[in-house]
Amino acid sequence: MANEITITIDGVEIKTTAGKMVLEAAIDAGIFVPYLCYHPGMKPYAACRMCVVGAERKNRDGAMQRLPGFPASCTLPVEDGMVVRSEAPDVHQLRRSVMEMLIAEHPNGCLTCHRIDICGPSDICLRHVSVNDRCVTCPKNERCEFKDTVRYLGMNLESPLNYKYRRIPLEVGDPFYDRDYNLCIVCGRCVRACQELRGDDAICFTDRSGRALVGTSFGTSLLESGCEFCGACIDVCPVGALTERSHKWEKARRVERTLCPHCPVGCQLNLEVNAQGKVIRSVPELHSPANRGQACFKGKFGLEFVHHPGRLRQPMLRRDGQLVEASWEEALEYVASRLPQYRGGAFGLLTSPNSTNEEHYLAQKFARLAMGANNVDHSSNLRPELVTGLAQSLGHAAATNSLWELEQAGCILVFNANVTEDQNVLAVPIKRAARQNAKLVVIDPREVELTRYAHLWLRPVPGAELLLLGGLLKSLLEQGLERKEWLAERCQDLDALRHALSALSLEQVAAATHVSPEAIAQAARLWGQAASAAIVYGLDNIAPELGGDCVAALSDAALLTGNVGKPGSGLYPLRPGANGQGAWDAGCVPHLLPGYRPVADAAARQSLEAIWAAPLPAAPGVGATGMLDNQQLQCLLLFGGLDQQQENEARTLAALEKLDLLVVADSFLSPAAQRAHVVLPRAVFAEKEGTFTNLERRIQKLNPVLPAAAGQAQSDGWVIAQLARRLGVQGFDHQSPAAVMNEMAQAMPIYGGISYSRLEKESSLVLRANPAAAFAGAPGLETGGLGSPKPTQVLYASREYRGIQWPCASPDSPSTPILYVQGGFPQGKARLQAPVFRAAAGRSDPAYPLQWTPGRVLLQAGRGSQVARGKVNRIQREEWVQLNPMEAQLLGVAEGDLVEVRTSAHRLSGVARLDPAVPPGVVSTTALFGQLAVDLQASEGPDPMRHTPGLSIAPAQVAKLGVASRA
Amino acid sequence: MPASFPELQAEAQRRWQELTAGSQPWIRVGAALCGKAAGSDAVVAALNNSLERHGVKATVSEVGCFGLCYAEPLVDVQLPGGPRVFYGNVTPEMADEIVASHVAGGQPAPALALGSLGDGPSGISSINQLPMKAKEVRIALRNAGTIDPSDIHQYIATGGYSALHKGLTQMTAADVLEQVNVSGLRGRGGAAFPTGNKWRFLAGSKAPVKYILCNCEEGDPGAFNDKGILESDPFTVVEGITLAGYATGASHGYIFIRHGHEGPVRRAQQAVRQAYDLGLLGKNILGSSFSFEMEVAFTGDSYVAGEETALMEAIEGKRSMPRFRPPFPAQSGLFAKPTNINNVKTMAYVPEVVARGGQWFAGIGHDKSTGTAILCLSGAVQYTGMVEVPLGITLKEVIYDVAGGIPSGKKLKLLQTGGPLGGVLGADKLDLKLDFDLLRAAGAILGSGGIIAADEDACVVDLTRAIIAFCQYESCGKCFPCRMGMSHLLEVLERICRLEGGPEDLALMRNIGENMQAGSLCGHGQLGFNPVSSALRYFGPEFDAHIKEHRCPTGRCREPRFSPSRSRR
Repeated sequence: MANEITITIDGVEIKTTAGKMVLEAAIDAGIFVPYLCYHPGMKPYAACRMCVVGAERKNRDGAMQRLPGFPASCTLPVEDGMVVRSEAPDVHQLRRSVMEMLIAEHPNGCLTCHRIDICGPSDICLRHVSVNDRCVTCPKNERCEFKDTVRYLGMNLESPLNYKYRRIPLEVGDPFYDRDYNLCIVCGRCVRACQELRGDDAICFTDRSGRALVGTSFGTSLLESGCEFCGACIDVCPVGALTERSHKWEKARRVERTLCPHCPVGCQLNLEVNAQGKVIRSVPELHSPANRGQACFKGKFGLEFVHHPGRLRQPMLRRDGQLVEASWEEALEYVASRLPQYRGGAFGLLTSPNSTNEEHYLAQKFARLAMGANNVDHSSNLRPELVTGLAQSLGHAAATNSLWELEQAGCILVFNANVTEDQNVLAVPIKRAARQNAKLVVIDPREVELTRYAHLWLRPVPGAELLLLGGLLKSLLEQGLERKEWLAERCQDLDALRHALSALSLEQVAAATHVSPEAIAQAARLWGQAASAAIVYGLDNIAPELGGDCVAALSDAALLTGNVGKPGSGLYPLRPGANGQGAWDAGCVPHLLPGYRPVADAAARQSLEAIWAAPLPAAPGVGATGMLDNQQLQCLLLFGGLDQQQENEARTLAALEKLDLLVVADSFLSPAAQRAHVVLPRAVFAEKEGTFTNLERRIQKLNPVLPAAAGQAQSDGWVIAQLARRLGVQGFDHQSPAAVMNEMAQAMPIYGGISYSRLEKESSLVLRANPAAAFAGAPGLETGGLGSPKPTQVLYASREYRGIQWPCASPDSPSTPILYVQGGFPQGKARLQAPVFRAAAGRSDPAYPLQWTPGRVLLQAGRGSQVARGKVNRIQREEWVQLNPMEAQLLGVAEGDLVEVRTSAHRLSGVARLDPAVPPGVVSTTALFGQLAVDLQASEGPDPMRHTPGLSIAPAQVAKLGVASRA
Repeated sequence: MPASFPELQAEAQRRWQELTAGSQPWIRVGAALCGKAAGSDAVVAALNNSLERHGVKATVSEVGCFGLCYAEPLVDVQLPGGPRVFYGNVTPEMADEIVASHVAGGQPAPALALGSLGDGPSGISSINQLPMKAKEVRIALRNAGTIDPSDIHQYIATGGYSALHKGLTQMTAADVLEQVNVSGLRGRGGAAFPTGNKWRFLAGSKAPVKYILCNCEEGDPGAFNDKGILESDPFTVVEGITLAGYATGASHGYIFIRHGHEGPVRRAQQAVRQAYDLGLLGKNILGSSFSFEMEVAFTGDSYVAGEETALMEAIEGKRSMPRFRPPFPAQSGLFAKPTNINNVKTMAYVPEVVARGGQWFAGIGHDKSTGTAILCLSGAVQYTGMVEVPLGITLKEVIYDVAGGIPSGKKLKLLQTGGPLGGVLGADKLDLKLDFDLLRAAGAILGSGGIIAADEDACVVDLTRAIIAFCQYESCGKCFPCRMGMSHLLEVLERICRLEGGPEDLALMRNIGENMQAGSLCGHGQLGFNPVSSALRYFGPEFDAHIKEHRCPTGRCREPRFSPSRSRR
C-alpha cells in the first residue's frame, strides 16, 4: 500500500497506514494497550488517559526526538519510524495513578477481594467485602472492562486516597434500562454513542469537576429526553452503570451470531445464551456492514418472545370443533391426505416475512410443483407496487444502493415512511447525514421523528402525495435541474413524462396539497442541486390506487437528476418484515418465478422446469392482498400468521373461517391459528438456519442459536419437505438449508454465486488485541495457575461477516453494493414513467369528515410534559390537537378548547391548537415515543415488538368538549 | 450607501468638537464594572438631578475604566475647550458640590479633584503625576475612560479605524501581517505565543471559510482587563479583529464572552452593530474587496471555556470541554474550519501596531517581550486598578511605585500572578522584570496580567487551598486526571488547613499533582499543580508548620473554611 508505514510498539515492529492513531494500530496488530474511554466504533475522545504512551518520532533531521509528556495513544497519529513505549514503568506509573483515583470513586470490592482469582462464575460469597462493593452487586461482574484494566495494571490496591461511595439512587423507572451512576466512571462512551453514533442527544454530561456524571438534561426521565431506547449506550458502557433490565444478573455461557428478525435492515446480533440455554441479551455486532454495531428497541429488547411461555409446543388438530394436541405424524398425515383435492386454484400458500430465503424458495416450489398453483406469496406483501414500479423503471425490484451510503448523500428524500420505528437503524445514517451537510427533505402528512431533522418538511394533504411528487418533478424541469446529457444517454420516454406534467400547474398542486409553490420549488432545488441524492420511501398511508404511481414518480425524480448508479444516490423501498426482499428474490410472489422471471414467460418456465424436472403451472396466481377475497380458494397453508394489518380485520378473519382447510404454522396461537384446522408449532428465527436478504440486497446468514427448544417447533422448510414427501413429490429431499441454497444458485441467476461456504469465506477476523499476549507479560499479575483472566475488551474482537449483495452471478462474481453503475440498466435504458398525476379518490364518510394524522417523535421541545415517577415512570401531558385555523372556525373550535378526536377505533382528547401549517381537513396529533416505550415494556403480549402500533391515518371527527379555560 | 472614510472622519470630528469645545460642559463618569460596583449609577443620577436643579445643561456620559479603580466612582468635568478635571471616590453629595462649583460656577474644586488632563489654567496638578499614571504608556487602553464606549464616532474622532483604512487602502494583507510580525507582539492570553506566527498559520490555509476568534472568557480571579477593555473601548478590539481577518484572509470573526458579563457583552454588541451600520463590517468594507462578518458569542459560566478548543465547542453549542490536538485549530477549529484565536488584549493592540508600524511597537518593552503589559492590580496594595505599563519594569516598581505599596505598613508576603494556574512568587522576587520569559523561568507567568498581592497576614496554605478550590470547581470533568486529581488535591489541602494533615500528605499531593501535570488533556490540568508546587517552593516551612507542628504561623487556619465548591451549591 502506498501509505503503509512502520512503527514500533514495545520493540515490536508493526505495519500500519497513515491516518491511524497509535492505539488503533496497536489494536489492529493484536497489541494490548489499555483503554476505557476509547471505543472501536467511535471517534477517539482522549479523556481516560489509560492509553497514554511514551513516544519518540523522527524530527526533520532524521534524529529521534522524544515527544513531550505522555500523549494519549488514541489521539496520537502514527508516523513512519515512530517508537512507542506502552509497557514501560513510567507509563504504567502514570496509568496506575489515574486508576488509583478511579478506584477511589468506583465501588471496588469486586477488585480488592482476596478471592478474586479463585472465584468461579457461580460462587456466591457475601462475606469478604462491604455490601455496596460486592462483585455480586454489580450486574457487569465478570464482563467489566474496568476490572480487566485494573488487573492488567497490577494495581496495588492499598491506596492513600479516600474512597467515597456516591450514594446516588438508582434510576430504574424507565423502560428497559437500569442506570446505576454509582458505578459510572464518566468515560463518556454512552454520551458519545448517543450523540455521535445515533444523533439523538438524549443523554449528556451533568455537572462538572469531580462531580461530573452522566444523565439527562435537567435530570428528566429518558421518556422525555429524546431517548429511542436503542440500547447503544448500554452496549458501550465499560462498567455496570448501564444495563438491560431483563436478565440483568445473568451470565452468558456462550455467544452466537445471528440476524434480527424484526425489520429489513438485517442487523447482525450477538445473542448471549445462559447456562439454561436461554437467550438473555442481544448485543449488536460492531463489525457488521448492515448495522455497524447498532440495533434498536426491537432488536435489543424485543427478542423475549423466543422463550415466551405462550409458544406453541405441539401440533394441534381440530376435532369436533376443538383444537386438540396431536403428534407431528398425525398432523402431517392429515394435511397430506387433504391437500391433493385442492390442487390448482383452490390452493394458496403464504409464507412469513421472517421465513428464510430457503424457506421462501421451498414454499413457492411446493405451491407450484406439488400443488400446481401460483397462489403463493408472503403475508407481508400487501403493497407489491412498492417495488413493481421500481422494476419497470430500472430493472430490479430492490434498493439500488447500500444502506450506509446514505451517510454520504448530499440530499435525502424520505417519503411516507416512519423509519425511526419501522426500520430504525436505517434512520441512523440519515440522521448523521442530516447533521453533517446533507439536506433532508421529508414528505409525510404525519409528524414522524425524521421531520425533526429535516431541512424541509413537506406536509401534504393525505391523498395528495402523488400530486406533490408531480409538482416536484415539474419544478425540477422548470428550473432546468434535470441532467440532460445523462437523460439522453441512459433514459427513455422523457417526452411522455413531460407530456404528463404539462397538464399540471404548481399553483394547482399547491392548492390541492397545501404545500406552497415556494416550498415545492425549494425541495426541487435541494434535490436537484445535490451532488448525490437518495430516496427512502414507504407507502405508509398512500391510497392503494396511487401507490404504484408514487413509486413511478419517485423513480422519475431519481432518473431526471442522474441519481442512479452512483454512491450516495438511488432508491430504497422499505418493505415490512425482515425478509420481504428474500421472498421476492426466491419467487415467493404469485407472478414471478425465482430470480424475477415472470410466470407468464414460457421460456422462463421452461428453464426452471428443466432444473426442477417437473411442469409448472402457467395460470396467473393471486397474492397476499387478493388471496382471501378469492372465492376459488379453499385451502390455505399459512406460515407465521397474517400481516399485522390484516390480522384483526373482521373481514379477513371471516374469510379464514370460510376455508375448507386452513393450516397455520406459527409460534403462538394467533387469531389465524385460532381458526385453523391444523396448527403446527413453528420455529423462531433463533432456532433456524438459513439466509435473509436485507433491504440493500445483502444475503446474510441466520444461524441457529438454540435447539428447537420450544417442544417440537419446526421450521417452514422441514414442514414443506415432510408434506412433499408424503405427497410423493420429488425435489424436496435436501440435506440441509445449504443444499437448498445450492439449488437456488442454480435456479436464480442473481444468486448464482451464493453458497454457504462462500458466505463463511466472505469474512475476516477483526483483531482487537490478543488477550493471551497482553496478559502474559502484564506486570504484577499472578494468575495462580488458573489461566489468565480474559479482558472483556476481546468482546470487540470478532469475525466480520460481510454477506453478499446480489446480483452475484457466479462464484467468482463480486458482491454488488450499487446497482446500475455507469448506467448499466438490464433493459438497456431506464424508463421514465408517466403516471397521471392526480389526487386519491375522496372517500367521504359523513360521520368522519376529517383525516387524523397521528405523529410520534422522540422529543418535543417547548411542550410541557411531566413524568410521574414511580415504580414505572409515566408521561403526563396535555395532548395537542392541531387544526388549521379555517377548519377550526368551521368546527367552532378556538385555540385552547378541549376537544376530542374520534375515529372508528380511537378516542383521544386534547387541547386545540390552531396551526396554519396543518392542511384544512386534517387533524394532527403527535405522541411521544417514550409513551410507546412504556406501553411496549408493559405489554403482556407474546411478541409486542412485532405488533408495534404504526401511525395509520384514519378518518376522524373532532368534537368540542369544553372551552378554553382562562387562567 | 455608507459614506467614504474621510466623510466618516469629518462627521466624527464635528461631533467630537461639539462635545469637547461646544456649547455645554461634558461630564464623564466611570461606569465600567469597577465604577458600577462603587456606585456610579447613583452618582449619575445625582449629577443629572443637580444639573436640573442648577438649571445648567451638560452632557453626561458613562465611559469605561480610566484605570484608577480604587478611585471609582471617577467623574471628570470638561468645560468647553478646557482641561479635564478628575474627581475620585465621588459620592452623590460630592456630585452636587462638583456641579455647583465646577459646572455651574465654572470653578474647579481643587479640594476634591484628583488631577487634571490637558492645557488650561485649572490650578490642579496633572493627573499623570498620580503614582498609577506616572509610569503608564497607554496603547491598548488609549481610549479607556476617555471615549463613550457606546459611540463609534468618538472612537473614529480619536483616530479609530484609520488603521483599518490604511490597511485596506495602502497595504496588502501580507503587509499587515508583516507589521504584526515585526512588532514582536505576543499573545496576551497567557501562553505569550508570537501573534504574527499564529496568524501566518491561518493565512497559509486556502479554505474559503476561516474564523478569527477573540477570547474574552476571562475567568481568572483577579483579572479584569479583558472585560475592562471591552467595556471601555470595544471598538479597538473590533477593529483589531477585522484587521486580523484582513491579514489572514479569514471570513468570520467571533467575540466570545462569558454569559452574564453584561457590560462587556452590551458594549461589544453595540460596537459590532455600529461598525456594520457604518460599513466597517460586512460586505466590501470601506469599498474594498474585503468582506468580514462578526458576531458576539457566549458560554455558560465555566473557566475552562476560555481554553481555545473548549471555547470552540461552546460556540458550536456544545458543552465546553477541550478537544485533543492534533488537529490544531489552525487546521481544523471552529466548525472544523481553520481558526485563529487571540485574546482581547492582543487584538486591542493591533490597530495601533498597524497605524504606527511594527517597529514603533517593538521599540517599547524589554527584549523579546515587546509592548506594554496591561496589569490588574488587586489584593493588599494601596492602589488597585488596571494599568498599562511598558514591559521591562520590575515587579518592585509595579508594587511600590504604581500600586503605592502595601497599606498599613505591613510587609509584602507574596504575589500571585497570571491567574490561579500561574503560581505564587515570594517577596524576594521583586527584582524580576515584567517579561514573559523571565517570569516563566521564575516559576510564575505574566499570563493574563492579574497580580494579586498578599501581605504577611495571609496564610499560604490557606491561599493555596482557595486557589485549588477554584481550580477544582472549574475543572470541566472530561479528562480523568484533572477531574479526580483536583478533588483529591483539594481534599488534602483542606485536611492540612484543618491542621489534621500528616507528613505523607506532601508526597501524596506531589504524586497527584505530577501525574495530573503529565496526564491531563488541557492546560487546566497540566498547570493545575502550579499553585501548590510554587507555594511549596517558596513557602515550604509554612506547610511544614501545618503538617508537622499542626499550627498555622499566621493563625488563620483554626477551623475549616468553606471552599467555593461547597458554598456555591
